[in-house]
Amino acid sequence: MPNEANDSSRAPAWRPQLHRRDVLRGGAIAAVGLGAAPLLAACSSDNGSGQTASSDYPLARPDSPVTLPIFDDNKPIASGLEPENVGVLKVLNYADYMAPGVKSDFQDKYGAEVQVTPYNNYDEMLSKLNASGASFDVVFPGPSVLSRMVYGKLLQPFNNSYLSNIKNAWPEYQDPWYDRGSQYTVPYTVYTTGVAYRSDVVADPSEGYLMMWNADYAGKVGVLDDAGEALSMAMLAWDITDDINTADPEYINAAKEKLNELTGLVDVKIDITQYETIASGKFSVHQAWSGDMIAARWYLPKGETTEVLGYWVPDDGAQRVIGNDNIAIPKSSESPVLAHTFLNYMLDNTVSEKNFNWNGYQPPLDKLNAQYLIDGGYISDNLLSAVVVPEDFTKGIQFYEQPVAVQNMWLSAFMEFKSGGS
Amino acid sequence: MAVAETAEGKADRATRFLWPSLAIPGTVWLILLFVVPFYGIMAVAFSSQLDILGQPIPAWNPLQWDFTVMRQVINESISGFYRPSWEHTFVYCFLAMMICVLVGYPVAYYVARLAGRNRGLLLALILAPWWINYLTRMLAWVGLLGDKGYVNEFLGLFGVTPVDWLAGNWYVVVIALAYGYLPFFIIPLYAYLDRIDQRLIEASRDLGANSFRTFFRVTLPLSRIGLITSIVITALPMFGDYYTNTLVSNSPATTMVGNSIEQSILSGFSRAKGASLVLILSAVLLVFMAYYLILTVRSSREAR
Repeated sequence: MPNEANDSSRAPAWRPQLHRRDVLRGGAIAAVGLGAAPLLAACSSDNGSGQTASSDYPLARPDSPVTLPIFDDNKPIASGLEPENVGVLKVLNYADYMAPGVKSDFQDKYGAEVQVTPYNNYDEMLSKLNASGASFDVVFPGPSVLSRMVYGKLLQPFNNSYLSNIKNAWPEYQDPWYDRGSQYTVPYTVYTTGVAYRSDVVADPSEGYLMMWNADYAGKVGVLDDAGEALSMAMLAWDITDDINTADPEYINAAKEKLNELTGLVDVKIDITQYETIASGKFSVHQAWSGDMIAARWYLPKGETTEVLGYWVPDDGAQRVIGNDNIAIPKSSESPVLAHTFLNYMLDNTVSEKNFNWNGYQPPLDKLNAQYLIDGGYISDNLLSAVVVPEDFTKGIQFYEQPVAVQNMWLSAFMEFKSGGS
Repeated sequence: MAVAETAEGKADRATRFLWPSLAIPGTVWLILLFVVPFYGIMAVAFSSQLDILGQPIPAWNPLQWDFTVMRQVINESISGFYRPSWEHTFVYCFLAMMICVLVGYPVAYYVARLAGRNRGLLLALILAPWWINYLTRMLAWVGLLGDKGYVNEFLGLFGVTPVDWLAGNWYVVVIALAYGYLPFFIIPLYAYLDRIDQRLIEASRDLGANSFRTFFRVTLPLSRIGLITSIVITALPMFGDYYTNTLVSNSPATTMVGNSIEQSILSGFSRAKGASLVLILSAVLLVFMAYYLILTVRSSREAR
């Protein structure tokens, strides 16, 4: 990351001049101010203070959309270029998030093998993308991490003339609130976060999130390896707060304590392979994204049907955690034209349907609406809870981008949980 | 006379440069692949500034080093949330090492002293696991100990209800660690045992010691350095191991320091913490190393 190692005095105005000492000081002030001694004494990590931390760039919210800047030293590529003939497209993505058939079709059509480098969460993705010398052509950032990547110049702006298929997307994703004018992202999938379970093991799925804290399933319970998802589930399950973007250290700590309980209570595991492990029966209950359970049918042992799979989300749409993933092109791409070609390819209705059939994650394309997918037999009746419709986004709760200090507070708490901390 | 002197002088000068020059490849190797990366780890651990992504900016200038994170990590290691990782690491490594000693010593002893002409074959069998990569060998445990794995199937024959071996059990981690590092333990020990002068043992028997006495009074003391070498060689990688644990447990209940380091380094924001943990672990291992060096120096002096 040579550009990041520069002397900070030369940094542009938007660079957060955040010194760790400041963060610590902020954290200490917040701790004193709160007087929540027992909770905070248990956690002496470098929590930033949510209340005092601010961001030096605008953070997008549905009610205050942002247009991301285009920098002079980071312009879109020219129009009318031929895709580079390099034989390989380097993709940074979650594992098993793109259909093998879609990759091989792309290779047949454009002569480039799609190579995926996997990550478990955005934090890891940023780390890999930001490593010095790293070069990727395609990456899959959600709205909660986008501005940071744009202002950190990890992404390059699109030349939309290569992306004619964007017309297939839901209208709200042709001009989304986190990226007005779709300058840096095209939509990939929409999903809810809920609890996946084996319906042949779980007695009462209406327990909802509390299935995770049920000792009957000890040894076979997992949470997503994602600070936001795991901590927010604890917040919602135990009515700590409804605000899954909270910057309040007290709430975050309380959620962490609840996750820590899982370690002793059910010997919780932390991973993101629930589509396979719930299907195989290795897990009975696992926090999951909706797409996982639709895809899980491919991982069922011989002789078992989708009847054994279940997916729970709150009945009330206003309490559902909902999200969307995007596709973007890293600035470090050595084949940006090929990357644009790939993005446009992924927005194709037929390609997208094939991809959905395999990975179970709904693409927000008009043609592939919920009814079409149900009629197509992709989703069995007992998994209709995993279907997402556009209206869900007006009601559901979403993760928003946070100031770095708040983000790190969440990550810190999650790391303590993962370390088996007390 | 004079002529001979000059020739000798030339030879002196030649050797003066020759011998040190032999150290060049090793030195370059060490600087490029150890000193520089290690300095990089220090620069991250002691960094005081975050970049726009919230990741530490390495502080290459020692004058700008900031020890806040280091102090914090030390505190958290002593009384905070890193404490369990350290405890797990010490306990698991100690137990795994005990298994290595109990299983490995007799094997090494047998191969070195009693195997006769089967020795080559036995050595090859001990080394055989090295033909298969470590990850694959560990995944074999997952197959064996899985819910519907062979172990549970076997136990099922006797009516034992399936055990959740892989649900985060410390003893499974210990067994897997011992299994993974056993060959590393046996081979150096074998080399030492093989070097023990047969005549000393014969002398002991001649003087009336039975085989147990001979073993405890002659063989074991003579192999002490070999035993310690084996322990050190095995302990160093075992302390930093994380994927064994990840594969057979992956539960916060069994997190070792290696796992904490992996998590911190993978997750960019806490890289400084991860780097600090690396430095602390290195310091701990350095203590072992120093003890080992003192022992070997002392024993070679005694030998003289």
